Amino acid sequence: MKTINLICIIDDDPIFIFTAKKVLRLSDFGGDFLVFNNGEDAFNHLKPLYIDDTEVPDLIFLDLNMPIMDGWQFLDEFIKLKLSKVVTLYIVSSSIDPVDIEKAKEYEKISGFIIKPIDKASLRKITKKFILKK
Amino acid sequence: MKDFYKKLLSIDDGLNTPDDTTTFLNAIQESITIGAWEVDLETMRIYWSPMTKQIHEVDPDYVPKFDATRDFYTSFKDRDLLDDLFKTAVSTGKKYDIEYQLTTAKNNCKWVRSIGYPVFKEGICIKVMGIFQDITAKANIFHETIQKEKEIRTILTHSPNGMAVVGLHGGFLSVNKSLCDFLGYSEKELLSIECKTITHPKDYDKTETQISKLLDGRFSNFQLEKRYIHKSGKKIHGLLSTSLLRDENNVPLYFIKSVINIGPMRKANKTVEKLLKTTEDQNLRLLNFAHIVSHNLRSHTGNLSMLLELLQEDIPSATNNEYFPLIQQAVKNLADTVGNLNEISIVNSKKDTGLESLNLLDFTNKAINSSIAKIIETNTEINLNINSSIIVLALPAYLDSILLNIITNAIKYRRENIAPKITISASMEGKYIKLDISDNGLGINLDLHRHKMFGLYKTFHKHKDSRGLGLFITKNQIDAIGGKIDVISEVNKGSTFTVYFKYENN
Repeated sequence: MKTINLICIIDDDPIFIFTAKKVLRLSDFGGDFLVFNNGEDAFNHLKPLYIDDTEVPDLIFLDLNMPIMDGWQFLDEFIKLKLSKVVTLYIVSSSIDPVDIEKAKEYEKISGFIIKPIDKASLRKITKKFILKK
Repeated sequence: MKDFYKKLLSIDDGLNTPDDTTTFLNAIQESITIGAWEVDLETMRIYWSPMTKQIHEVDPDYVPKFDATRDFYTSFKDRDLLDDLFKTAVSTGKKYDIEYQLTTAKNNCKWVRSIGYPVFKEGICIKVMGIFQDITAKANIFHETIQKEKEIRTILTHSPNGMAVVGLHGGFLSVNKSLCDFLGYSEKELLSIECKTITHPKDYDKTETQISKLLDGRFSNFQLEKRYIHKSGKKIHGLLSTSLLRDENNVPLYFIKSVINIGPMRKANKTVEKLLKTTEDQNLRLLNFAHIVSHNLRSHTGNLSMLLELLQEDIPSATNNEYFPLIQQAVKNLADTVGNLNEISIVNSKKDTGLESLNLLDFTNKAINSSIAKIIETNTEINLNINSSIIVLALPAYLDSILLNIITNAIKYRRENIAPKITISASMEGKYIKLDISDNGLGINLDLHRHKMFGLYKTFHKHKDSRGLGLFITKNQIDAIGGKIDVISEVNKGSTFTVYFKYENN
């Protein structure tokens, strides 16, 4: 059984970050958070971590609409790293546009698409799925 | 007699006997349908050659009497005229040559040409000789041609299209009134100018190119949309059609041109195009607006709901007041509204794409099964009359939603104490499959509500579940799959919703 030690949240909305952290804490998550407010900051920080394979986050929650580098652009850059390690990444967006949901299916790196607002039940499902994964 | 023939036909030499000459001349007469005649004024005898008799359709042994011949004239006018000419010939020696209509012994009408030569002896006219020719065929063609010419002239004159005959060098040979009106010139003015004058300089070359191809024989006519210059200097638009008329040796004679004034049509088209552009712009703006609703409003309401949920769990004491439940309700309402708007915007952005052929009966049964609990609870009777072979074009999710909404409405708006009865039937009507869903429920006062029947947030009954969204979405979904919906209803009798679906093959 795996444990979740580090969760990365990439979102420009402070309220979402606040509520996400709260919900995770209330769901008994005791690890650390790594937070970025846009895709570029996240990519620049995460790239060396993934290359060295040290202290990589166990879970990434990625927003789509962000300034500077949005979620899709982040994904495109992230794929270019050609990582062999399995990354658990969820898109968390308020978009219910079918175009976005269809587009997400084209990225095999994406583990799922969560429509905001997130609630405890769906977060628990995700963390549980991760823990049970071999 | 023979002297006359000889003189007339200059055949004094070559034939030996008078009999030979007669035979020969008669043979000629037959082959060219010319007969001869002679009136001997001394003996008052009349001679007709066989051909002359033949033209009159009398027996070969017919002996014309002096007066009786006049019976063959068709009109009194012709008879009087011929009488006059004959008398003048006799008295003055002036020969005559006249064409007139003849009625033969067999009552056929013929056109003939008669030439008379008076012969004088010692100053007195002794006889009149002449030839007689059947010109019916020629005259008929001539008269037909006149008739045709008249027809064509009438068409030309009264045509709403501008028409002109134009010479090979571009000068107008004849023009009709419509063309004069179109270009603002009088007929006289047009006949004195060339096509080039009224052609817009920028369209001159392209007209010339077509004209030279026409002259080369590459085609027999062409159509060209071009600009003209009105007499006032104004630019006008016409659709020109030009043909080239050639003679029997294929030598070009002149052009026949016809011009349709397409100014009003172009103007109407421009208006339509402008309207279309405006509509497209507005649609795009609406789609953008829907996108904003989908993204921004949703994230804000999402945050609000989350914050309230967390507050309740994290700091329960902060929620223990009369404000909190109201705020919570307001946020829930806001989230619902945003949700509704999203549903609508998704329907609108998914028009006419990916329609599938679906079995109407299967989908109707599915919708009935989905509402089976309500049907049993309310004791609703359902009469289903849809042929299992009916296939409609729709999106599966929309067809589900349309059927379910109309059927549940029929149950929802039932009359108290009256067992609901729903009749569902389908038939083909023109390019649509027509589906009727009738109930015996509350009905709607269409005089009051028809205009807002399918409007957003419009409700017609005080029902706790009325959101004013169902029929709005149903209408939008039907629009999106290229169908139509209509309703007839009477208060306290019931309603019939009719949905028209497209089907395959159109």
